[in-house]
Order: sequence, then C-alpha cells, then structure tokens
Amino acid sequence: MPTASEPKDAQQIIATLESRGLRAENLSPVGVRPSLDAYVAQLWERRHFIWMDARHRVVTQNSRNRLGNIWLLLRPLMDAAFYFLIFGVILKTTREGIDNFAAYLIIGVLMFRATSTAITSAPSSLHNSRAMIRAFSFPRAAIPISAVLRQGMQMLWAVGAMLVMIMVLGEHELPNIMWPMILPVLALQWMMNLGLSFIFARLGFQIPDVSQLMSFVSRVLMYGSGVIFPIERFLTHPVAASVIQVNPVYQMLRAYRGILQHGTMPPPDAWLILGAWSLGLLVGGFVYFWRGEASYGGGQ
Amino acid sequence: MAEASDPDRTEAFTPIEEHPWVSPEDSPVTVVAHNVRMRYKVQRTDRKPRKGLAGKLTRKQMVSVAALRGVSFAVRSGEFVGLIGRNGSGKSTLLRTLAGLEPPSSGTVLTSAKPVLLGVSAALIPDLTGAENVKLGALAMGLTPAQADAAFEEVVELSALGDAIDLPMRTYSSGMAGRLKFAISLAADPAILMIDEALATGDATFAERSKKAMDQMLAKAGTVFLVNHAAQTIENMCSRAIWMERGQVVQDGDAVEVARKYRWFAHNLAMGEEAKAAGLLRDAILEGETQRREARLFEPASAAETDEPHGRRREAPELEPDPFTQVFNARTPSPKRTFLKTVLPDDPD
Repeated sequence: MPTASEPKDAQQIIATLESRGLRAENLSPVGVRPSLDAYVAQLWERRHFIWMDARHRVVTQNSRNRLGNIWLLLRPLMDAAFYFLIFGVILKTTREGIDNFAAYLIIGVLMFRATSTAITSAPSSLHNSRAMIRAFSFPRAAIPISAVLRQGMQMLWAVGAMLVMIMVLGEHELPNIMWPMILPVLALQWMMNLGLSFIFARLGFQIPDVSQLMSFVSRVLMYGSGVIFPIERFLTHPVAASVIQVNPVYQMLRAYRGILQHGTMPPPDAWLILGAWSLGLLVGGFVYFWRGEASYGGGQ
Repeated sequence: MAEASDPDRTEAFTPIEEHPWVSPEDSPVTVVAHNVRMRYKVQRTDRKPRKGLAGKLTRKQMVSVAALRGVSFAVRSGEFVGLIGRNGSGKSTLLRTLAGLEPPSSGTVLTSAKPVLLGVSAALIPDLTGAENVKLGALAMGLTPAQADAAFEEVVELSALGDAIDLPMRTYSSGMAGRLKFAISLAADPAILMIDEALATGDATFAERSKKAMDQMLAKAGTVFLVNHAAQTIENMCSRAIWMERGQVVQDGDAVEVARKYRWFAHNLAMGEEAKAAGLLRDAILEGETQRREARLFEPASAAETDEPHGRRREAPELEPDPFTQVFNARTPSPKRTFLKTVLPDDPD
C-alpha cells in the first residue's frame, strides 16, 4: 500500500485503484469548477431550460390573482399615473428648462426600475434557489440569467405602459421615427443588469449582509442618476459633474429621454460610456461569478 | 456473536424472500470516495437566559459539527448500493457530496459520469401541469427539447398518472408527485443515480414498476445509490449496503448481511435496550475494521497531518449533537477513551 501525505490528486487515486486490480480509467473529480469555455458551453446547453423556466415563472406568478397577467401591464400603468398625479397635477412642478416634466418622470421611474430590481434581488438569489442548487447539478450562472430574463420580460410590459402614458398624459409625446432606437439602449441596459446580478449574486452569497445594503445603494443610484429630477442642474462642481457624466444609469436615462421626448439620437460619447460599462460589467461579472462556481452548494 | 446467541431474533424479523439485484463480478469503478470529510460551523444558542453582559455575549457561540469523518470506498458499475444508518448519521450529506452538489471540507470524490440526484422536484413549478413539468424537469437535467419530447411518453407511462398529467401539479397527492419526480429523473437515463428516501411515497404497484426501471438501468451498467431508513427495503433491493454511524462507515458489504445486522441493532435501540445496541454497534465496528482499512487508498501519513482534533487549531469548539453517544457516557466510565477513541476513532485516516 503506497504511503502519501494527504493525497488529493485524482491521478494518484486512480493509480492506486489500478494497482489493486480495479478498472478505474474513466474517473474524474466531481463538483469542481469547469474551465471558462466549458462553462459557457454548459450554459448554452441549458438555454432551453433557462428560457422555459423564466417564461413559465413570469406567466404563473400571477395565476392566483383574479386579473392574472393583466397585472403585468396594470402595475406600471398605475405607477405612471400616480407620479403624473403627484408631480404633474397636484404639485404642478415645472422644472426650469424641462419641458413635459410628466414624461421626464415617467420615463425615469419606469426604466430605472429594472436596474434597481436587479441590484436589490441579486444578493439573495442564490440563497432563494438553494433547493434547486442542492438538488441537481447545472451551471449556477443559470440562476442570475433566469432572474434577469424574468425582469426583462416584465420590463417589456412596463415599456409598453410607458409609451402609452407619455402619449396620453402631460404634453402628449407623439411617436417619432427615432422611437425604435430605444431597443439598442434597452439591450445595453439588460447587459448591465445581468453583469450587476452576477457580481451581487456572488457577493451576497459570501456576505449575506450585502442584501441589506442594496436598497440603500439603489437609492443613492436613483438620486445620482437623475431619475426624478435633473441632477446635472444642481451639481456645479467640475469633479462631481464629470462623475455624473460617467454614470451609466444617468447616460442610459438621458438616452431614453432624448429619443422619446425630442427624437434625438444619443451622442457618440453616451453610446461609448454606456456600451463600455455594459460590456465590462457583463464580462467581468460573469468571470467573477464563475470563479465561485464550486462553492455555491456549500454552507449550512 | 451477539445476535446469533439471541433467541428472539428470528421472531422479530422474518426475512421476506425477494430478489435483490446481483452485481456483476468484474466491472469498472464508477464512484470513488477518498477520505471525504464534512464539517459545518453552526451557531449554538444556550437555552437558559444568562445574567450580566458577559453572559449575554457568550450565550451564542459558533460550534463545529462533523457530518462526515473520513469516508472511503469504491463502487463499481452494476452495483446497487444502499446507505443505512440512523437519522443524522451522515447518509444524505454523503449522497449530496458524492453527487458533487456540496463541496466536502476535505477529501476527493471521483466519478465516471455526472451523477443524478433524485431531486428534480426543486426545478418543477407547482402551478404548471404535470406534462409541462415533465418537459421542464427534463430540460433542467440537461436534455435537449427533442430528447425531452422523445422521453415524454415513457415518463408518463412510468409515473402512472394517466389523465392527471394534464392537471396542475399543486393538485397532486404527495405520492403522485413523488412518482412523477422519480419518472422524470429516470428520463435523463443517468449512469449514476442517487435516491434519497424517494420511494417511500409510492404505492405497491409503483414500487414494482420503479424496481423494474432501476434493474433495467443497472443492467445497462449503471450504478444506483439508495438512502432509506427502512433496512428491509435495502435488503430486498440492493446488492451492497453501507452502514453509517457518526459520519463514518461501520460496515460495508453484502446488502443482506449488513442490513440484517443494522436491523437487529436498530430494533434493540428502539426497544430501549441501549446497552445491548451499543454492544452490537461495537461488534459491527470491530468486524468492519479490516474492510475499512482495505478501503483506505493510502496509509495515514502521521497523526499531526489529520485535521482534528489535535493537529490544526480549530476556531470553533466541537459539538456532539447525537444523543446516542450519551448512552455510552452513562454506561462506560470514560467513554471518550475506552469506546470512542479505540473502537470508533475520530479519524481513521
């Protein structure tokens, strides 16, 4: 019997088994992190599951309500109407230099919501899927991806509600030829949400307290991105102003408003900032999440 | 031996003659566990409220609980392995570790294929119909949509749900849901299947069907692990049994032989004959010693290199939550030294 100090090497174990006359040629370690390209390949193999899971969860979440999936449209409609009532009718807010504040507000609130949901729900997503993680093996990145897909499907309804409300309420924004340009901005937003979900899912798994912090982070982001009032008017300090300029959420909302309210194409630097953040967060977040892959089943 | 000399043994158990699976003589190794250990850190709260600030601060402390204390074995294809042992002996933890779902604190698990744990229910959505869940569960296990469609009829047939397959799954009885779960798990045609207490929910007809399905799988050179409290089930179905106690292997061998010893031990324990049960356990451990030594792949290097209790510094004190070890405390003058250390050493490896 060979003596070795704490042998962990699979090759050593196979060699020892074979020296005892057992056939052990096809063995490989279980529960270890695959290489990055193998991981992407595994995820791609599970795409049908991720898609079907996300779709059915969106459809069935309202199945016990009387109005069923009408709520998917009704909720953003009610939100938009509420903000219009408070700021457009009761407070009669007219910001200097902002025409149609009602539309400004509705676009800001409804489009920011998906990013805010992604940030606040990601830290607990692995914990909430614990039953699934401990029951069968699949690339764990499927969990944040499925969550962002669900949020994306709900967001499509919110976009519809938003378009209707800015036409109906306030100063009636009418469709213009640039409106389809919100689709690439939407795609970049989803990439960003997915990247953020990857990062905060792993962080929240390692340190559960992160989830307590996220509603605060989301609020800071809300005020720092001009969701309900134009932050750039109040920050005159050059450093603060340039910090705001590189904030991807600020650039994203400005792009939506420019397209929908004024029919203007976002400037190249806006595309550059938003695109760089989205791609960077997505790739960096994915790699960061993958590095923790073997650990997500552990803990008690 | 203790059980041979006992006259009421045959009355307590009349062995039911069924046909357990007979494993092939020579086949490749499919699952190897090498010195697998699992240790959890858990927060323990003292039940009695304490007085003073110091007492309040020390009321909660982190303790360390060992679930697996060095498990080693090799399983070949075509073997049907039953895991038996009392609650909390580490059976389910071992199964999750073997399936690669939970990383062990130390040790290595090697397999020849990706093991499938019968736990697909976690992916199912209660508001969907059984048929939709068959599709979802099959995709969750990594089948392509075409494979899922091809397996559909077979799954419905095995689950024996009939027209109930088109009703929402939340309307199913626990037995029906259990049958569907089992049928979906077999749809992936796994080479290594691990079952944790799942078959208890089905009725007699289903038990027959599931046995047939598993025998088919074994005949195709698969490997099945089955955790069950009822040693009778293990005895009837499996070819090999592993008796676990306190996170260690007591005996590993022929299913009928090991399961009967375990049943006799459990029977005495249930009857309140704790001293006798302890003696039976001790005999079984001594008897299994040679086998355990053989299962170890490498000689332990030195006492200093084992990770507990005197080697590495431990951050949390050890907690022994098993009430059965208290039995030894009451009967033997120094149980830690006479029983646990010599017969059931903390670290065999």
